[in-house]
Amino acid sequence: MSRILVVILAVVVAFGAAAPSVAQPDTLEKIKSSGALTIGTRTGSPPFAYVNKSNEWVGFTIDLVEQLVKPSVEKAVGRQIKIEKKESTPPTRIPLLTSNAVDLIAGTMTDTPQRRESVDFSLTFFYTGAQFLVKKGSPIKGINDVSGKRVAAQQGATNAKILREKYPQVQLREFPDQPAAFQALAQGQVDAYTNDGIQLAGLKAKAPNPNEWDVVGDFYSEEPYGMAMRKGDAKFKAAVDAGLKNGFESGKYFELYEKWFGPKGEVPYPLTPQVKAYLLKQVGK
Amino acid sequence: MSYTFNWSVLWSGQSGHWLLQGLLTTLELSALAWLLAAALGILSGALRTVPLAPLRYAAISYVEFFRNVPLLVWMFFWYFGVPPLLPRPLQDWLFNHAAEFWAAMVALGVYHGARMSEVIRSGIQAIPRTQFEASLAMGLTTFQAYRLIILPVALRLIVPPGTNESLNLLKNSSVALTIAVAELTFQTRQIETYTAKAIEALTAGTLIYLVLCLSIATIMARVERHYAIPGLISRGGAA
Repeated sequence: MSRILVVILAVVVAFGAAAPSVAQPDTLEKIKSSGALTIGTRTGSPPFAYVNKSNEWVGFTIDLVEQLVKPSVEKAVGRQIKIEKKESTPPTRIPLLTSNAVDLIAGTMTDTPQRRESVDFSLTFFYTGAQFLVKKGSPIKGINDVSGKRVAAQQGATNAKILREKYPQVQLREFPDQPAAFQALAQGQVDAYTNDGIQLAGLKAKAPNPNEWDVVGDFYSEEPYGMAMRKGDAKFKAAVDAGLKNGFESGKYFELYEKWFGPKGEVPYPLTPQVKAYLLKQVGK
Repeated sequence: MSYTFNWSVLWSGQSGHWLLQGLLTTLELSALAWLLAAALGILSGALRTVPLAPLRYAAISYVEFFRNVPLLVWMFFWYFGVPPLLPRPLQDWLFNHAAEFWAAMVALGVYHGARMSEVIRSGIQAIPRTQFEASLAMGLTTFQAYRLIILPVALRLIVPPGTNESLNLLKNSSVALTIAVAELTFQTRQIETYTAKAIEALTAGTLIYLVLCLSIATIMARVERHYAIPGLISRGGAA
């Protein structure tokens, strides 16, 4: 229910704040005069963006902004800037952006064609796809084994949509949140839980006994994460992309990846050769 | 960016089909839960007024235990808490046969049974004690007195609060979406995720609940008038 309230509130805010600004957005100009780049990010999506045990707002996406995007934007505006962080959630992020409350959404937002109608996306900075979380030793090894099985999903997720449309034999159980779906899996109400692979890896890492669980299957959906910006602001997009591009080329990106997703990272999620090739292909490598 | 309304999302694509499915699930869930709630409510409401102390205490425990814990918790209890207590083959059978629906039905029925019980008790206590004594003096047993005299009168008295409770039950059935029952509210959210048109989807859901509840209230008002006992419920006929 609260999500719906937030949406309504966001719509009201968007009505009020966005009405006068029909002119072409110029985010760099705004950053130049205020000296701050305001990002909308998450507080509870480890390891992308979250508040850690010592109460610091950190994460992989935040590191990307601080270490790759910030220098590039500083170069474009010709002065030092600071990063300001605001909380944004899936229902609020687009309204926050269009109302000028934030300049860049840097969280876990999937770049989709529908969303491209209202915002612009940076280069893809993370690539994941739907997989399954199962108990170790389960006969389910991927999308081809789930026919007739009970599969939990999170309501509103793209993978629930794909399962319903392309695999109607699956007994789909949609839960409003992740903890309930995981509980159903742990107790055997369902045989598998499906979500973005990285979310499942995070769930597994946080579970009381991570070794009891396996993330299985090839990606059966594509979830490229991008940073979102106001539509039609080519100069700002160029600055953000240049920062990321530099990160891919210099290898700085992969160091940060290792820090958060390496064997010793917050959520171990090894970079597969295919994903690495996909990321590098964006910068022509 | 301003919000552009697009009401056609409600009848284009699968939305209409989903709403109808959600409506049917809501009706099915509420009707079954209502029958359970009515049975439990009449039983425990009657037991709370009988002369036998152990029966009264049993009924009091049921009512106080179930009505004082939030419905959401009961949903989780019946879905996550109860199945592990059953033998494994039965669990598997249940999980393959809409366990979430039955868990939601029992959760709603038992919770509202406890609330219904209080409504029925107040109906019974509104009947002068002399009626009960007169029934016994006629040679009826306590059971017969309840079945033939007390309950038929009490049930006529409690139609207005009973309607209230039934409408609550219908609306509370939406809590079942937390354990993956695809009822009406679930389906309005589904439309929202597919079309990103939250206000339209929510409005459709609201209107359906409103129409449902108004129809039930109208039917119950007729029932109330039809079964009113002249003289006992003096203004019943004029309502």
